[in-house]
Amino acid sequence: MSSIILQNIDKAYGKNAPVIENLNLEIKDKSFTVLLGPSGCGKSTILRMIAGLEAQTSGTILFDDEDMTNVPPENRDIAFVFQNYALYPTMTVRGNIEFGLKNRKIPKAEIAARVEEVCSLLDISEYLNRKPQNLSGGQRQRVALARAMVKKPDIFLMDEPLSNLDAKLRNQIRTDLIALHKRLNTTFVYVTHDQVEAMSMATDIVLLNKGKVMQMSSPAEMYKQPRNVFSAKFIGTPAMNVISSGKSNISVPQGCAYVGFRPENVMLEKKNNDDFCISCDVASTEMLGAETVIKALSGDEIIFMRAFTSACRPEGRQNFYVERANLCYFNEQEERIYE
Amino acid sequence: MSTKDLTAVRRGVGIRPKTSARSAINITKKVVTGFLYAIGIIFLLLVFLVPVYWMVLTAVESANQVVQNPPLFWVSAPQWDNFVKAFESIDFWHYTKNSLIVTFSVMILQFITVIPAAYAFARYRFKGKKILFSITLLTMMLPAQLTFLPVYLMFARLKLINNIMTLILPFGASGFGIFMLRQSFMQIPEEILEAARLDKASEFTIIRRIMLPMALPTIAMLALFTFITTWNDYYWPLVMTTTDEVQTLPVGITGLQNIEVGITQHYVMAGNILMILPVVIVFLIAQKQIIKAFTYTGEK
Amino acid sequence: MNKTARLKPLQPGMRKAKPYLFILPSMLFFAVFAIYPLIYIIVLSFFDRSIIGDMTFVGFENFIKLFNNPEFGPIMKNTVVYMVIVVLLTTVFSMLVALLLQRPTRLNKIVQQIAFSPYVISTVSVVFVWMWMMDADYGLFNYIIGWFGLGEVNWLTDPNVTIFSIAIVSVWKSLGYNAIIIIAALNAIPKHYYEAAKLDNSSSVKTYFRITLPMISPTVFFLVLINIIGALKNFETIKLMTAGKFDTTTLVYFVYQNAREYFDFGYASSAGVILMVFIAIITLLYFKVLAKKVYYR
Repeated sequence: MSSIILQNIDKAYGKNAPVIENLNLEIKDKSFTVLLGPSGCGKSTILRMIAGLEAQTSGTILFDDEDMTNVPPENRDIAFVFQNYALYPTMTVRGNIEFGLKNRKIPKAEIAARVEEVCSLLDISEYLNRKPQNLSGGQRQRVALARAMVKKPDIFLMDEPLSNLDAKLRNQIRTDLIALHKRLNTTFVYVTHDQVEAMSMATDIVLLNKGKVMQMSSPAEMYKQPRNVFSAKFIGTPAMNVISSGKSNISVPQGCAYVGFRPENVMLEKKNNDDFCISCDVASTEMLGAETVIKALSGDEIIFMRAFTSACRPEGRQNFYVERANLCYFNEQEERIYE
Repeated sequence: MSTKDLTAVRRGVGIRPKTSARSAINITKKVVTGFLYAIGIIFLLLVFLVPVYWMVLTAVESANQVVQNPPLFWVSAPQWDNFVKAFESIDFWHYTKNSLIVTFSVMILQFITVIPAAYAFARYRFKGKKILFSITLLTMMLPAQLTFLPVYLMFARLKLINNIMTLILPFGASGFGIFMLRQSFMQIPEEILEAARLDKASEFTIIRRIMLPMALPTIAMLALFTFITTWNDYYWPLVMTTTDEVQTLPVGITGLQNIEVGITQHYVMAGNILMILPVVIVFLIAQKQIIKAFTYTGEK
Repeated sequence: MNKTARLKPLQPGMRKAKPYLFILPSMLFFAVFAIYPLIYIIVLSFFDRSIIGDMTFVGFENFIKLFNNPEFGPIMKNTVVYMVIVVLLTTVFSMLVALLLQRPTRLNKIVQQIAFSPYVISTVSVVFVWMWMMDADYGLFNYIIGWFGLGEVNWLTDPNVTIFSIAIVSVWKSLGYNAIIIIAALNAIPKHYYEAAKLDNSSSVKTYFRITLPMISPTVFFLVLINIIGALKNFETIKLMTAGKFDTTTLVYFVYQNAREYFDFGYASSAGVILMVFIAIITLLYFKVLAKKVYYR
């Protein structure tokens, strides 16, 4: 049982400009929270501070209501899965998994039982006596997970654990992780720069940029209701089209500087009279199987359209229409405003 | 090649390979370089193997054969007795014992001093680290040919001359060893140590279960390096001692020149073969690691 | 979960002391057997220190005596001549050997190991073999020279030859070591440079001087410095081959002789300080190169 609360966290390395400034965050108990953001946004640093591997410059980290500031990482009841797995090359798979339990002086019989349970769950029983060097990437990944799980921690922390795997394996382990989270019923905190990973696994996404929280919400809300331009442009492939509102044919709210809309909401034909309309030149058409992505230019702005029929092959000058209900408005500060 | 040729090549029809003048030059060049290479290899082998052969050959010759002119290139009846004579005419076992004591004491002492120091330099941040590490590197460059003087006087004042400690203690720490092992410790990924910390491993457990096993190849290299350099050392035992009480093999062996009036070369060679035998055996077993240790410059 | 059990008081004092405790044993040895001697030898060079141990301050007298010693000029000459011969021969030959053995074939690797082996064999044994081959009456060398109708050479007693004879042994001992380090540097040159040069019709000689040599020059420079220091420190071959006779006394040998044969420690120290200055200059250069090689690559 653990929720994680970060209060007024600052983090700076030496005398350099701070990486994280005045961060406030609550990670709910039993949630699968994904810290998402471009590289250098401070997401790994936050994870490492939660683990205690790095100390915050100021501020407080609480697990439930307990201050963790002076608790060393090994006493925080967490498990950490590293990006490169960090398996001990000097020990067998079994040695790797048992290591933490042995150091905690847990009775032998219980260690054996727990290792057995975890290994059958993750399907790695047959490699128990091998060294990590002799395992494939996917197998190592599973061993790293097993090593974390066997400790039965309150909190699982994972730092881009899938980034060293190929695309196919990544998809598979993604589904496994969702199942695992349901089964273990504990808090998962997961760091990634991959928005697809975040969208598919998270119950909550914390979107970060330059050490600041841009938006924190469920994946669905993150997609439908971006709170700012950054969030709009980070989520979705292709991302939301955000263009300057000066070209708009319809009235926009007071102070609106940008209009955004998702590529799949673009239509080639007018539906209502007050539809947003923009005329542009089709630059390329990519057939991706189930969908078609059309790239078009309006002045110096690029607009993407997604159509779910392969028959859609517009060419030359076209009018793109978007229903009013599907528009998002942003002000000069790139914050969302509402009608 | 004209465009027409190219089309022909593409179609794969109507091409007959021709040996042009260009490929003829290439073949001559290959023959010449091959010939030069063979000469070079043979010359190198002669340069490096003839002295070895000469040593072994002389070691099994009789006194008469040694002074034969022209010299013999083969002996049909090797005088194995030369080895026995070399062993008996100086106190060979005494020197060997000293060599063994000195070599292994230095190795053990260096393990005790080098491992923790290398660990601290690799894994800790502390005040004065930079200057202390510079001193460590500096000791690698300090020639024993200079430091012997104050050290000799110091031991003399302590009345320790001809005590075996004078051959061991000065090599109790190794700048080279610290430098080499530090590099090895630094190459261990930080995440592995963090993982171990989260696994509640104590610092001692981390060193024993993870760092030392991972640095084992380097430690083995270091042990070989220390073994060979200490076993071979001639200068230090020569300048630190005044009697043969604690002298080691390289110093003791020079006495073979004077065991008889007249020719002693066969005994000298036999004795030297006995002396270098341990190093030769170790080299044959682990030449890769030894070469790596001796040519180590800190580069990856 | 027991909440107080999670908290573990930190002991900042203990944590800070730990690294110092770890390096303490090594530093003690360095202090006594490296730093103290380094300082004391300088102190000693300003004193008259005899065998019985009384010390008298004599200022620069030891140095004045040294510079006025008619032997000093020849000793410096021997030191420099020996160093130049060793460094020159080692550099040129090891680069040739490296070129010859560069390709990582089985045969080349075996020859490399054979060429390296003298480096780990006791200098005493190496010297004995060479002295025996250089023997004026029964030696292999004079016999081979005889084939070409040349007269006997007194390798170990002719003052015109002795320094050269000693240098040859040192070169033979460290040739393989030098060659292997150069080979490592050669093999570290990315292959595409050669492929590009080949397509540009560069001759192999031109390729060597325009691509290979510039790329291995830091390594060669590093080896030259190591060899200079090695030559300046060389003692064993001189002691065993000529015992400083026949124009072979170098600075190191002079230090040894005065300290251990004449027990004139102050005087020996002053010569030692001169040697130290030379080595210090080279060492500074060496560290500059080493720092570059280790940290910036």
